[in-house]
Amino acid sequence: MSRSTVSTVRRLLSLLYPQRRWMLGGAGLALLAALAAVGLMAVSGGFIAAMALAGAAGLAINYYTPAAAIRLFAIVRSAGRYGERLITHDATLRGLSRLRVWLFRRLIPLAPARLSALRSAELFARLRADVDALEHFYLAVLVPGSVALLSTTAAALVCLALLPVAAGVLLLGVVLAGVLAPLWVQRRAASDAARFVLAGAALRGLLLDALLGQAELLAWGGVAAHSRRIEALAAELDARRSRVELFEALGSALVGLCAQLTLLGVLLFALTAVHRGRLSPPLLVLLTLLVLSCFEFIAPLTEALARWSATLTSAERVFGLAERAPPFREPRPATPVPSRPAIVFEGVGLRYEDEGPWALEDVDLTLAPGARVAVVGPSGAGKSSLIAALLKFYPVQRGRVLLGDQPLAALDGDALRRRIAVIAQQTVLFNQSLLENLLLAAPQASAEQIERAVNLAQLDAFVASLPQGYDTVLGEGAARVSGGEARRISIARALLQDAPVLVLDEPTEGLDAHTARGLYAALSSAARERTVLLITHRLSGLAQLVEEVVILADGRVRARVPVEEYLASERS
Amino acid sequence: MNALGAADTPPADRRAAEWLRREARLIRRPLLRTGLFTALLALSLVAQAWVLAAILTAGVFERASFAQLWPLCGALLVLALLRFVLNLGARRSAVHGAQQLAGALRARLLHEAQALGPLGLRGNASGDLLTRLVDGIEAVLGYFARYLPQAGAAVLVPLLLAVFIFPADWLSGLVLVLTAPLIPLFMVLVGRAAARASEQRYAQLRRLGAAFVDALGGLVTLRQLGAAERCAARLESESEAYRLLSLEVLRVAFLSSLVLEFFAMVSIAIVAVLIGFRLLWGELALHDGLFVLLLAPEFYLQLRGLGALRHTRMDAVAAAEQLATLETEAAAAPAHFAGATAVRCDRPPEIRLERVTYLHRGRGAGLHECSLTIRPAQLTALVGPSGSGKSTLLNLLLGFVAPDQGRILLDGVDLTECDVRQWRDGIAWVPQSTHVFEGTVRENLLLANGEADAAAVSRALKTSGLAAVLARLPHGEDTVLGERGVGLSGGQLQRLALARALVRERARVWLLDEPTAHLDRDGARELQASIRAAAASRTVLMAVHRLSAARAADWVVVLDGGRVVEQGPPEHLQRTGGAFSALLQAELS
Repeated sequence: MSRSTVSTVRRLLSLLYPQRRWMLGGAGLALLAALAAVGLMAVSGGFIAAMALAGAAGLAINYYTPAAAIRLFAIVRSAGRYGERLITHDATLRGLSRLRVWLFRRLIPLAPARLSALRSAELFARLRADVDALEHFYLAVLVPGSVALLSTTAAALVCLALLPVAAGVLLLGVVLAGVLAPLWVQRRAASDAARFVLAGAALRGLLLDALLGQAELLAWGGVAAHSRRIEALAAELDARRSRVELFEALGSALVGLCAQLTLLGVLLFALTAVHRGRLSPPLLVLLTLLVLSCFEFIAPLTEALARWSATLTSAERVFGLAERAPPFREPRPATPVPSRPAIVFEGVGLRYEDEGPWALEDVDLTLAPGARVAVVGPSGAGKSSLIAALLKFYPVQRGRVLLGDQPLAALDGDALRRRIAVIAQQTVLFNQSLLENLLLAAPQASAEQIERAVNLAQLDAFVASLPQGYDTVLGEGAARVSGGEARRISIARALLQDAPVLVLDEPTEGLDAHTARGLYAALSSAARERTVLLITHRLSGLAQLVEEVVILADGRVRARVPVEEYLASERS
Repeated sequence: MNALGAADTPPADRRAAEWLRREARLIRRPLLRTGLFTALLALSLVAQAWVLAAILTAGVFERASFAQLWPLCGALLVLALLRFVLNLGARRSAVHGAQQLAGALRARLLHEAQALGPLGLRGNASGDLLTRLVDGIEAVLGYFARYLPQAGAAVLVPLLLAVFIFPADWLSGLVLVLTAPLIPLFMVLVGRAAARASEQRYAQLRRLGAAFVDALGGLVTLRQLGAAERCAARLESESEAYRLLSLEVLRVAFLSSLVLEFFAMVSIAIVAVLIGFRLLWGELALHDGLFVLLLAPEFYLQLRGLGALRHTRMDAVAAAEQLATLETEAAAAPAHFAGATAVRCDRPPEIRLERVTYLHRGRGAGLHECSLTIRPAQLTALVGPSGSGKSTLLNLLLGFVAPDQGRILLDGVDLTECDVRQWRDGIAWVPQSTHVFEGTVRENLLLANGEADAAAVSRALKTSGLAAVLARLPHGEDTVLGERGVGLSGGQLQRLALARALVRERARVWLLDEPTAHLDRDGARELQASIRAAAASRTVLMAVHRLSAARAADWVVVLDGGRVVEQGPPEHLQRTGGAFSALLQAELS
């Protein structure tokens, strides 16, 4: 096992640490149940043989003890297994539940700077599947593995007491079937298994492309070519799966073969021992059945290990994500955020990748408290990067951003963002009630405050039209809300946040002229008495919100002019 | 809940089971072969038990040495090797059959999904459903590769074993045969009781999953609003609720396996004790007793294996339900265009709509009695508020859907009679939101024209404004675009769609849906000029939000609520003071 595997396994185990008592108890019960099952068969065999001998010889025999033991074993086996499964599953579910929330908490400070490559919800959904896949580690590897180990050890000890050489044969067989065969399968199947996963993901991508991009494929005449790619990849996928399955089948057939060979080996020595009078005949039967039933606990290991690398990959993906370093270390203690601050950019340079192009090259910009400024410029000029830096979502590599006289580094990110309300082009709404969505930034808001914000945002008609009013659930991806309504909701949300600084990022983009016009009044009520930073590439209808215009190009401030002057130059 | 009433089975469940049965018929031969292997395995098991019992009997009574018993031990070895081969054969044939089915299913499914058409796909099935369909094949594969063979073995093996156990010891046989049916019976009873808890659990799992995807997708917004920690607390309680429900389900599920194990273990114990006493009383030979005892655990083994695969069946039924639904929807989808009249591609056609009506279906606006003419070598602008039917009209022209009433004429020939592939081949199309395929930027562009040379690509990049975007990316045209074009913003995607259309230089028809949205003023102005110039030798239809763009058109069609409310040259419409001039006034003020 490589070092990284060991450390991954250690971390997996550490997640279960709070449940260690339950897990140990569960494993103990599992062992008890396993031993009872082995004992049931072994004692039954010995009992039958002894009874037959006694019957043939006409001797009296104590049959109460073995008969009672057989019944006891039967009950212990069933009840033990029930308890074991309940306990280990509970402990595992607790562990996974903790893991999910832990992971979410780890991701919070990473967004968006360290998650930009993983932006889509699809990937996050996959991450959820990874967490679920870890269940396999505990329930299919850890518990059966330890049960197999402990129960074969116990069986070997019984053998050792009765016929030492049989213990040797048993151990040899167990190592072959329980360790070497699964490892062989895992190694032979590893590359195919890995490629199977990759081909599966690629095929999934192609199928989604075929379905979601069908209009494009039809329009551009690519349907046949795309279908051929799908067929080729599907053929590869099937071939890989077939090979993985072949090795799995070989592995489990090998375990069966090992069991039979071990049995033959034990018979060889046990028959000789009985022949020479060194072993009593009923024990021959007991040993035989003991060996046979041991392998029942070895069999699941091959399957478990066949999925081992997939489990490991899932675990590494989860831990790899959780252990990314956040872009900021929040200052402790943090300086309080000034209540009506000026915003100052001092020679700010920002880029998203170490060697990438500069999104902001050298920005000097001061917004006095209460200033109302529009930043315009072509797309790619760095407008959005300005907000990213101001909200402390991305670190700046050059210069600094100040709020009042405090550099952002000295301020706590959450406290800073509480003072800045944002109304963006894309309103993200959550699949909760309208009220919950409105209250995201201000959970304590009173009914009057909500009413006021909703009226100012001109959302009252929309609320009245909803069958359940504020309690209406907005649906997945807020499917029941139009673009204009979504933006009104975000305006009301920003009003409730009651922050001294308001950032508007293309607030009317993508809306038709009529809807956009309807929003202006709501936007101007949101902008009232606040410092306003409006980001846009087309100022036209939004001009009344601002007093000055800053022209940004290629990551630098090119000019700063009064809004009338800018509009006049635009018209000419 | 009525525990025994078969009427409890929801109809969707029954339909899924019916669907699975029908599919199973397609791989009858591999399934039968698997059954044959299973039967042979059971027979070899009987032989093995018989030989082992003989060896042990000789060992116990005659204290026979290994040397004396070597023929029997040799037979045991041969049987072991035989079982190895049979085991492999059984699994291989099961997997082979399932895989064969999955391959055919995948092709059929894709075909059915495509039969829904681009609009049907977008309207009926969210990306989520599509994902589930893709995963559904894997779930169904598990059912045919594992569950079904195991179900066969659970019936076949106990029956075969019983045939041999009865002659050896009828009393043990009776115990086994009487207890065995109790196991599935109890499993069904317990399973019924678990069904409702299980449904709740799935519902909660969906809620939990959705909450996670929701929260993670909006993580930046949550942080910006300072609500991330509150959201984490909410997830914690949802996650805890899921754990409790899961545990409730598992408790019942484990109870069913407890019943199973208990019956198996107790009847083995009863068999052992019964055999023991009759051996003592001399009523039974040791060989027969051992033979039965060795076979007793195997009698239950396959039934237990079936219990372990129950979730495989549940997954498959859930998947089958969706696949069956898709099948029904695909069968109900309107037929495709099957016309064969050749379309001339060398000059711009005249497109005429005659009283075209398209009914509103779920999503997307309808059209009512729309009549208009899109003339060649002209720029026609289509204006109207969102939801007025602009995109629907473009979809009709692309042949994605057919009009419910009325006709679309291409140089006088009905579109439904034309070779629609040839017609599309001559179109350059810019959709409102484009799908980005996995692959590089260049691959995405070349989709529209595989023969485009480097010069044509760079022309398209420049005109669309995508060149400026690519200049900022380290890999330029070789930048890989992932699922849903991760890495490109809305505006950049729009430019990609535009570049893709421009690469098809041969196109004589341009259908543009909001081509200048997301572009800055200078970019929009340049593009307008390019479109204007291109219109001299093409038929161009451009849907626009912003009326300023429409003023440069030769002809303007104003749509509202799916009806043509006004059309004519823009200067004329502006003067007459109708809908167009009202909209224009609203935009300029």
